[in-house]
Amino acid sequence: MSLDFSSIPTVVPALLKGAAVTLELTLAVLVLATPGGVLVALLRGAPSPALRGAVMGASWIFRGIPPLLLLFFAFFGLPLMGLTLPPLPAAILAMTVYMSFYFGEVFASGLASVPKGQWQAAAALGLPRHRVLLRIILPQTIPAALPPYISHATEILKGTALAAAVAVPELTSAAKKVFVVTFRPMEVLIVAAAIYAVLDAGLLILQMLGERWSARRRARS
Amino acid sequence: MPAWSVIAPYWPNLLSGFWITVQLSFWTLLLATPIALAIALARETGPRWAALPLAILVNAVRLLPALIVLYFVFYGMPQFGIRLKPFAAASIGLVAMGAAYMSEDMRGAIAAVPKGQLSAAAALGLPRTHAIRRILLPQALPLMIPPYMTRAIIMVKGTSLASMVSVADLTAEATRASSITYQPYVFLLIAGGFYLALNGILALIQALAERHLRLSRRTAAA
Repeated sequence: MSLDFSSIPTVVPALLKGAAVTLELTLAVLVLATPGGVLVALLRGAPSPALRGAVMGASWIFRGIPPLLLLFFAFFGLPLMGLTLPPLPAAILAMTVYMSFYFGEVFASGLASVPKGQWQAAAALGLPRHRVLLRIILPQTIPAALPPYISHATEILKGTALAAAVAVPELTSAAKKVFVVTFRPMEVLIVAAAIYAVLDAGLLILQMLGERWSARRRARS
Repeated sequence: MPAWSVIAPYWPNLLSGFWITVQLSFWTLLLATPIALAIALARETGPRWAALPLAILVNAVRLLPALIVLYFVFYGMPQFGIRLKPFAAASIGLVAMGAAYMSEDMRGAIAAVPKGQLSAAAALGLPRTHAIRRILLPQALPLMIPPYMTRAIIMVKGTSLASMVSVADLTAEATRASSITYQPYVFLLIAGGFYLALNGILALIQALAERHLRLSRRTAAA
């Protein structure tokens, strides 16, 4: 049996609508999990050993169980605790928590790449701690953290496919909805795969721009 | 916490789901590892005509969500007359995904061994396969273990996707029990505990393997 793409033009609008939801979900998680990751990374270096231990334990748990299970938990479990969320926010919440801990690891190693003396020097100059963090330390973590950050960002993009399991109308579930009607899964999946590839490429271009930008910044200073 | 009486009727199902998850993990790791190693070696030390198509294939798979890859095997293949049981379809999809990512991890470790080592072996007249087996791999192996185990844990978690192509794995059994009893967090927590236990074992193996390699390297140096 050969491939037949003649019916594809009629289903492309449905797939693009799904792609828009995929993009929305990816951006929402990226925007929320990035500060979440910074918070996790900072808490891992907190002075209180109890707090440090709690964060590392939580990180181990959240990175050790399948994201699909976390999605089910947010979607089916939280309503029993009095928090009923529609599919999209539930998916955003689950993936944000999950990715925050991954980003936490990325940023922790980024923070470790900045020499301790930088903190002391900035403190000696009388800069308040939050400004030291924002203006001195974090900008220096960018070169070390950017490549793993973007590769985790593409993980988010690919991970959004899981949201199909909790009825979020993103690209993968749109594709499935279409091919159970057309009975030609292969063609529809190829088109969906191509859309994912384009979105991935967008993130990679972002990484290249980001790396060039941070290299230029360093050259200037 | 709800009584054991809520959990008890579903306990055998959860255990059989866990057993399916263990089997899926075992087979995907067992099959993906040699494939990944072959791809990594071909791309790093093989001829260009082999390296280039493999690079394209690996990166194509890495661009896609795992779920789409599973859908390709489970829903797409029957269109070409290849009809697979859910477990087989899920295994093939997970092996393809796992091998693609794992080959990248291994490539990094192989590339970290200085190129001069292979040239020196060639200058000494060692056959290439021999040089790869006795010079390159023993040096690359210790570097491979940490990313390999990280990948193995990701792959074990990834087996939960099999529940989306109707494999009755741990995730599938846990969600089924939750939707019948309306007690989602009980069963999801139990499933989470099982996954953590499985990954804990892998982490333990990693620690043992790293210690073993450190020891064997020390004896080699002595």
